[in-house]
Amino acid sequence: MREGLVSFKGINGGIYINIKDGEFNTILKELENKLEKSIDFFKDAKIIGIKGDSITKEEKNELLNVIKYKYELNITEDLESHFKEDIFEGIEEGMTRFINSTIRSGQVVEYEGNIVIIGDVNPGALIKARGNIVILGSLKGVAHAGVDGNTQAFIAAYDLRPTQLRICSIISRKPDGNMDFIGIPEVARVYNKEIIIEPYLPRK
Amino acid sequence: MGIGKAIVITSGKGGVGKTTTTANIGTGLAMHGYNVVVVDTDIGLRNLDVVMGLENRIVYDIVDVVDGNCRLKQGLIRDKRFDGLYLLPAAQTKDKTAIKPEQMVELVSKLKEEFDYIIIDSPAGIEQGFKNSIAGADEAYIVTTPEISAVRDADRVIGLLEAYGISNPKLIINRIRYDMVKRGDMMNVEDIVDILAIDLLGIIPDDEAIVISTNKGEPVVAEEKPLSAKAYRNICNRILGKEVELLDLENNEGKLSKILKLLFSK
Repeated sequence: MREGLVSFKGINGGIYINIKDGEFNTILKELENKLEKSIDFFKDAKIIGIKGDSITKEEKNELLNVIKYKYELNITEDLESHFKEDIFEGIEEGMTRFINSTIRSGQVVEYEGNIVIIGDVNPGALIKARGNIVILGSLKGVAHAGVDGNTQAFIAAYDLRPTQLRICSIISRKPDGNMDFIGIPEVARVYNKEIIIEPYLPRK
Repeated sequence: MGIGKAIVITSGKGGVGKTTTTANIGTGLAMHGYNVVVVDTDIGLRNLDVVMGLENRIVYDIVDVVDGNCRLKQGLIRDKRFDGLYLLPAAQTKDKTAIKPEQMVELVSKLKEEFDYIIIDSPAGIEQGFKNSIAGADEAYIVTTPEISAVRDADRVIGLLEAYGISNPKLIINRIRYDMVKRGDMMNVEDIVDILAIDLLGIIPDDEAIVISTNKGEPVVAEEKPLSAKAYRNICNRILGKEVELLDLENNEGKLSKILKLLFSK
């Protein structure tokens, strides 16, 4: 029997149940085992919902019923709004990290808000932000903005020639062939689930 | 009591000219009258002894010294061609786990008592051998060729050196073929310096004389005619604090003015 399909994860003052891909009966057995083992803990816990990308609606309901009626636990089912709360919203005004140096191949810069780099980002470097990424220099590495779900996050650079751009879960790579410096700063944003690159101001 | 400056020659990428550069800078500085020891830390794949033409004289090596099987003096090989020039060879029958960084630090501090310059030849890569070679170094010179893969690796290594506390490494660009640069088929000096963003110490043209001198075991820097020899002598002069214009590979004399600004700006 495969263990580990059912796990409990904390989020903003509550717990949700995370279900991985697997056979439903195994999942059900595992959930019941875990609930029984720590029933006292779960009686007091605030269970917010069930998250499982591979279970069907009916299966989800069956699990919910087991939790509510067999084990008599409280479950509020407002998982969606909790997840929304976790996404970084400060892309117009929010916490920002400033770095004044070149980021080299193999280095990773991560931050829970926006990132501004005054310097170049060399190929092989990775910048990850929950918010926006602004590079006052050449972006030749990989930049990943809106890491936890904010599709409005943008990536801007003085010289935008990245190996790859990622906003949220959308990935885009530069066109094949050598790109020369365009000459003006550019901004990458998501429109219609695609990453589009525009000049930094509309009329440039 | 020597000046005691320990410089590691490293690159990340293999085959770009670290060992050749170590041998030629070491010999070049000795030609100026300084006490120099060149140290090979590429344990298991030693080459510095061959390039220096001293392999027949090896009895003890760096592992013997560090393990205490012999005294430091016994491990050092005196180069009879130049006063004050010594080699501490690597071991060939062991591998890079035979030495720890702490042992290197101790060894280098002992060497600093006897020598003005300690030039440390680093192996390729970023693992144990590399870590050993930089332990105890005061400064680093990064060698790269004008090829995108070498520059990528050099960038990685510069980042690692910064993390290990060796800042302001200097750059040596090796094996430049001016005809290819002119045609646009090879990266030029400015592009490389722009990406790596460190001070340029010197450039060395691709030169048949290096192949010949390596096979003979006689570092090219001592010869008068080859352009690469001149390039290495220029680098040695810059290390000693003298201002020397970069070789103009087109006309064999002169200027690349933007690069000069980079070179002399501090």
